[in-house]
Amino acid sequence: MAFYETVFIARQEISAAQVDALSDQFTAVLSENGGSVKKKEYWGLKGLAFRIKKNRKGHYVLLNIDAPPAGLHEMERQMRINEDILRFLTVRVDALEEGPSAMLQSRGREDRPRRFDDRPRRYEDRGPRSDAVQTEAAVEG
Amino acid sequence: MPVVVSTGRSGGRRPFFRRRKSCPFSGPHAPKIDYKDLRLLQRFVSERGKMVPSRITAVSTKKQRALAQAVKRARFLALLPYAVK
Repeated sequence: MAFYETVFIARQEISAAQVDALSDQFTAVLSENGGSVKKKEYWGLKGLAFRIKKNRKGHYVLLNIDAPPAGLHEMERQMRINEDILRFLTVRVDALEEGPSAMLQSRGREDRPRRFDDRPRRYEDRGPRSDAVQTEAAVEG
Repeated sequence: MPVVVSTGRSGGRRPFFRRRKSCPFSGPHAPKIDYKDLRLLQRFVSERGKMVPSRITAVSTKKQRALAQAVKRARFLALLPYAVK
C-alpha cells in the first residue's frame, strides 16, 4: 500500500456538514478497497485565488490516505463524477506527516507581525536602487 | 606593453560589497518545502504572482526546483494566483 495526500475543494454553497458527509463517503470508498484514511483535516471555507466554475470560495479538505492504487483510482473517479467537487489534487508521499499540516499551523499565528515578507518586495524595487549606487560611484571616479 | 587590468568596477576604493547569502532551505533548521505552507511560499512569489528568481532569493538550484513544484501545486488548488492583474 502507498501513502497519498489528497486535497479536494467542494462548492461554496454546500454546508460544512455536507462536506463532512462527502469526506465520509470517500473514506468509505477507500475502506471498501482495502485502504484507510489516517488523518482528515477540514481547512474551512477559504477564498479561492481565482474563480473555479463560477465559485469564489470553496471548502478545503485534506485527506492523508494509506491505500492501494486501485482504491485511490476509484475515489478519484467518484470525485470527478461528483458535481460538488470543484477540484482535487493527489500527491504520493513517502511518509504521512503527523500532527496538523502547515495550513492549520499558520492559521494560529495569522495575527503575528510579518517578518520575512519584505524579501520578495526587494525584487521589484531593485532597479532604481542599483541606479543610485552607480551614479554615486561615477561621481567618485 | 602596458598591461591594462580591468576590474569592471569604477572607484575601487570602495568596491560594491554584498554578503553571499546562503540557501534558506539548507541548514539544520531549514523549513520543509510544502505546497500547503502558504506563508512560506508567498515569500518566494512576487506581488504579481510570479516566482522570484533564485539569484534574488539565494535558493539553491535543487531547492528552487522543489519550490517551483510546490508553487505550481498551490496554484492548481487556487491557494496562490497564477497571475495578479
